[in-house]
Amino acid sequence: MSLDIDSHIRHSSRHIGRSVPRREDRGPLTGKGRYVADIRLPGMLEVVFVRSVEAHARIVSIDTAEAEALDGVVAVYTGADLAEVETFPDYIPYIGPVTQRPLAEGRVRYVGAAYAAVVAVDRYIAEDAATLIAAGTVYEPLPTVADLDQALAPDAPKLFDDWDSNCSFDVAPHKPEVDEAFEHADHTFTETYVSQRQTGLPMETRGVVAEVAADGTLTVWSSTQSPHMVRTTVALMLGMPEPQVRVIHPTVGGGFGTKTHTYPEDIVVPWIARRLGTPARWIEDRMENLVASVHAREQRHTVEVAYDDDGTVRGVRCASTLDMGSGEIFMPGTAPVFVTNACITGGYDFPNMEARTTGVVTNKTPAGAYRGFGIPEGALVMERIIDRVARLTGTDRVALRRRMLLRPEQMPYVMHGGGRLDSGSHAESFERALELTAPALQRARSRYADDPDVRVGVGYCNYVEPTSPSYHLTTGHWGGGDAATVRVDPDGSVRVAAGVSELGQGNVTAAAQLAADMLGVSPDDVTVVLGDTERAPYGLGSWGSRGAMMLTGSVLLATERLVDKARKIAAHMLEAAEADVVLTDGAFHVAGSSQPSVGWAEVGTAAWVRTVDLPEGMEAGLETSGFYHPDNLEHQLDDTGKINAAASWSNGTHIGVVSVRVSTGELRIEDYIIVHDCGTVINPALVEGQVHGGVAQGIAGAMYEHFQYDPDTANPRFASFMDYLVPTCAEVPHMEVDHFESPAPEQPLGVKGCGEGGTVGPPAVVAGAVSDALSEWDVDLTECPVTPVAVRAAIRAAAGSGAGAGS
Amino acid sequence: MKPAPFDYCRPSTVAQALEALGSSESSRVLAGGQSLIPAMNFRLTDVSVLVDINRVEGLDTVACDPGGVTVGAAATQTRVLDDDDTASVVGGLRVALRHVGHLQIRNRGTVCGSLAHADPAAELPALAVAAGAMIDVSGPAGERQVAAGDFFLGPFWTALDDGELITRVRFPAPPAGSVTIVDEVSRRAGDFAVAGLVAIVEADGGAVRSARLVGFGLGGAPTRLRTAEAAISGWAADHPSDGLTEAVMADTADAFDDIHATAWYRREAVAALTVRAARRASATRKAA
Repeated sequence: MSLDIDSHIRHSSRHIGRSVPRREDRGPLTGKGRYVADIRLPGMLEVVFVRSVEAHARIVSIDTAEAEALDGVVAVYTGADLAEVETFPDYIPYIGPVTQRPLAEGRVRYVGAAYAAVVAVDRYIAEDAATLIAAGTVYEPLPTVADLDQALAPDAPKLFDDWDSNCSFDVAPHKPEVDEAFEHADHTFTETYVSQRQTGLPMETRGVVAEVAADGTLTVWSSTQSPHMVRTTVALMLGMPEPQVRVIHPTVGGGFGTKTHTYPEDIVVPWIARRLGTPARWIEDRMENLVASVHAREQRHTVEVAYDDDGTVRGVRCASTLDMGSGEIFMPGTAPVFVTNACITGGYDFPNMEARTTGVVTNKTPAGAYRGFGIPEGALVMERIIDRVARLTGTDRVALRRRMLLRPEQMPYVMHGGGRLDSGSHAESFERALELTAPALQRARSRYADDPDVRVGVGYCNYVEPTSPSYHLTTGHWGGGDAATVRVDPDGSVRVAAGVSELGQGNVTAAAQLAADMLGVSPDDVTVVLGDTERAPYGLGSWGSRGAMMLTGSVLLATERLVDKARKIAAHMLEAAEADVVLTDGAFHVAGSSQPSVGWAEVGTAAWVRTVDLPEGMEAGLETSGFYHPDNLEHQLDDTGKINAAASWSNGTHIGVVSVRVSTGELRIEDYIIVHDCGTVINPALVEGQVHGGVAQGIAGAMYEHFQYDPDTANPRFASFMDYLVPTCAEVPHMEVDHFESPAPEQPLGVKGCGEGGTVGPPAVVAGAVSDALSEWDVDLTECPVTPVAVRAAIRAAAGSGAGAGS
Repeated sequence: MKPAPFDYCRPSTVAQALEALGSSESSRVLAGGQSLIPAMNFRLTDVSVLVDINRVEGLDTVACDPGGVTVGAAATQTRVLDDDDTASVVGGLRVALRHVGHLQIRNRGTVCGSLAHADPAAELPALAVAAGAMIDVSGPAGERQVAAGDFFLGPFWTALDDGELITRVRFPAPPAGSVTIVDEVSRRAGDFAVAGLVAIVEADGGAVRSARLVGFGLGGAPTRLRTAEAAISGWAADHPSDGLTEAVMADTADAFDDIHATAWYRREAVAALTVRAARRASATRKAA
């Protein structure tokens, strides 16, 4: 595929690279978005799931009689009723086997696991019935494991009786050259770094509506990021031919990874609709959402670092352990910790690294995908290591980063984890961000010059962002490509349908821009269809910073084929040689003279309607498809645990200026600077939106959001947004964003993804900035979130209790 | 997140409201509903009769006179926050209300509802204790008046008996020339406090003469910091902080942990806020 962008652009005023206004906003902003919860079907019944209140227990009995007798209750189902439904597939061979039934049977392994479903005429009655079923459930509690230490203890209670331990996987390649680096280094240190449990938290929770037509075909509306994958799995588990299942995602209010999974509700609600012959719906409420949608990010990293007196990092050993929760989720939430280890070196180059990758089950909500997918956890570790080495050796933090950063002439560069950085602006981004930081730091220092209680610090993060990854590593089943179909109708209008989804990113706008330039028409002439398995071709949806790349690749393949055919038709109509005919601004003409010409309407009309005008022997129709599958993707780890699992790699630098109030530990991000590089930019406004939103979620992880569990019972210590603190507009600081464009040399138009990078920097930046601000106490934070309590605890630990208070 | 079935009634007199409240043991008063309705939706609170007092005659008033401000049980926080007369008589109400929730919450939430709810981390109960507010209560046995200092018994626990209703609260005007400071550490803007302080400070010639100090967000009822009140007198802007810090630590020994903060953090933070308030109050008077 060509990086020669101009050869594919057939519009004289190019749309790619311009902030074409978003098409997606009118509905949501005017209250006319059509979310799953807005879908009303005649006779539709309400489904409510009854969820475990025990973290680990055998279910002895479930008394549903009282609930079934309630006026307005239509049916109550437990696991045994769904015997005919297949078990969730278990495609990944190297992880501990998990038998996940659509409703938990006999045993529950986390608070929130659905074990019964109520169908009623409305949600109120359904919840009344669910309360009665909960009261009628007899549990035999089992001992719980609430964290990694408990789960890995030699005598730990096991979640799965047929496993040897609670360890699901443990990949530990040994590299002798790393041992050698440690032997020759001047010094070593060991530290443990921790990222806390969070979730992607879309504003719209999940929801499923299902309806069966008279002919037996099933339509499922699901708030998912991946409608085709849901279709494949629903059809498989319900034993239906795939063409008889249609999955639609209407307006989706965000996914952030949580909606990449196919959940029990995606199976049970359609099953109920088929069983009862009545439309059924379930809308996740926020209480459910906090325990029944996947969690993420809970990782512990035990690190050994070998370094020399001059600050040179000679080698790193990192053992990364993921808390998988109960592991009962499809697809399994195992991949992020592999991504952590693959990306942990960020934009830095040092000679030796050995990474161990471990997954452990606990009695908590299953872990899964969340925007960032392991990258922020690794970035926290790497930046804290560099700051520690700088401090221990008396090296300047910025100078040490400069020494370690990748330079353009090192591209392509293969990282220790096997990722192949095709291009990037690692060192340049850092320099640019430093320039932008200088005035911000000056501002903050003068703001607090007269306040002896406040310290100001700076934190840095230089990261890489794998984009358009293999989904085989994650699912053990799917690959990593997507399809698009492009059609020109008789009136010359263009229709683009693609397997990528739209969840707020702006993929509809981007698809219209791409097709418009490639076909020489206005974006207004392009209708875009996404998120409907019946109307759009197979694709894996939107996640993994893949939307822009998949759209570019698949739309480009389809439009090139379309233009080839249209040029033949036009040449015939112009009575010219095909090779002489070019397409500019929607008109086919002979190169060098704009007249005579034929437009898309004439070509479209010939193709579909006046087929008598077609060249002899040409098949009618003007619709082409392309399935883009990046050919540089690797899908399996090699013997040393290496893989290049991404089609391309974006990069960026985040720098934050943070003030800390010593007496109370309160912190405030004064300024946040981002220099970002995602290759060729299709729409700068969309990229900026992704960066802003990502950074906001990164700040959530750096300072606020934290799922805490009771260590004795593994019960959640959260039930609402009173306990799970989401930053609001008051907490998210002003951001200054600048861009580099290092086109992906092997990707269509040089486009890279940009969906996740924003989340990566803040944990490392905030921990680094606060440690810098409190350097007089030698504070060196190793965990997120960084809260006022954590700040005070660090000061006390470093200086003895009471120090600093009120000073 | 849908409530269990309940009866709803909307009386127009206090007598009718009391009758409805007395009709069931699990009756509850609905004023702004900002805490009650979520608790019902979570099915954490069992409510058989919900008595909506928003149309009860005479309860929506906010009355000011030079001696203080009287706020009726149905008066919203926004109404009090926006009232300039109130702010000129009891400035602490505006200062405290700025910390309460967000605009949408204050538009519904009531001052008296916050007192009745008695969240340990709420600002208004602490202000009421610091200001020496008097709470009017009506019940089956008639009317009574309870001093705010006697009203708050523990977390979500007040001196209100079954079937009783707060009808109004009176905040007396603070001593002339005093400063009312409401300061807190909260995790996010508008959140309940992790640690908070209401200080009504009288200062003279750059030194603190006397102060009423109430800590909140400590886990229990608003806490009078009596040792600190003694320690703060005579304080000037450049005074060393140790004695006052120790006094606050002594006053807050009952603080407890939750997911947002540890007990020791809360105590340290209230101490830091107290030192900050003392410095501010003494500095304010110096400048004046």
